[in-house]
Amino acid sequence: MENVRIVAGIILIAVGLFVYITATFGLFRFHYVLNRMHAAALGDTLGILFVLLGLMILVGFNFHTLRLGLIICFLWLASPVSSHLLAKAEFVTFKHIKSECEVVEK
Amino acid sequence: MKEFTGSFLLGSVILLSVLIFFCMIRAIKGPRFTDRVVAGNMISTMIIVILSILSVYMEEPFLVDVAIVYAMLSFITVVVLCRLVIVRRRVHEREEQEDGKR
Repeated sequence: MENVRIVAGIILIAVGLFVYITATFGLFRFHYVLNRMHAAALGDTLGILFVLLGLMILVGFNFHTLRLGLIICFLWLASPVSSHLLAKAEFVTFKHIKSECEVVEK
Repeated sequence: MKEFTGSFLLGSVILLSVLIFFCMIRAIKGPRFTDRVVAGNMISTMIIVILSILSVYMEEPFLVDVAIVYAMLSFITVVVLCRLVIVRRRVHEREEQEDGKR
């Protein structure tokens, strides 16, 4: 039973590391900021979920686990807000945005 | 099994450090300032993951508190920077419109 728990945790951490490698690859693959932001948000949400879930399984159930869960909750609330503000700042300052993506005029 | 877990955690920390190095290259190369902010945001997320992995490896729960404070600091940094850019831009546009009326 102990070994099953450790193996499950290690597999989850490995999946999370794979997500991080993909996100860093996407940071170099795409050619525009809004596309790169898509790749970066992948690491912010999915990567941290898998890695911290694996760590929580490795630790077992105590207060250490609850604090790791608190990090997931906080980042899931904070990351969309900062991404939204970043996209807004990009939209406001970049003059040739219509050549990069579709813009809906209100 | 315990030794293997420890060496796996250390290896993942080393891998994340290499990825941070690549993100830093993007932060230096990025053509616009938003590129640099995105890369910096990603670096701070990876540092949070490294801190939580180290807290499990060293079996010291107080490192998780450091990670939480780091997450709050990076969030505040991005929000303040982008709000500053947006507000300054709005003021600039209003001044241009008033100049056009005269």
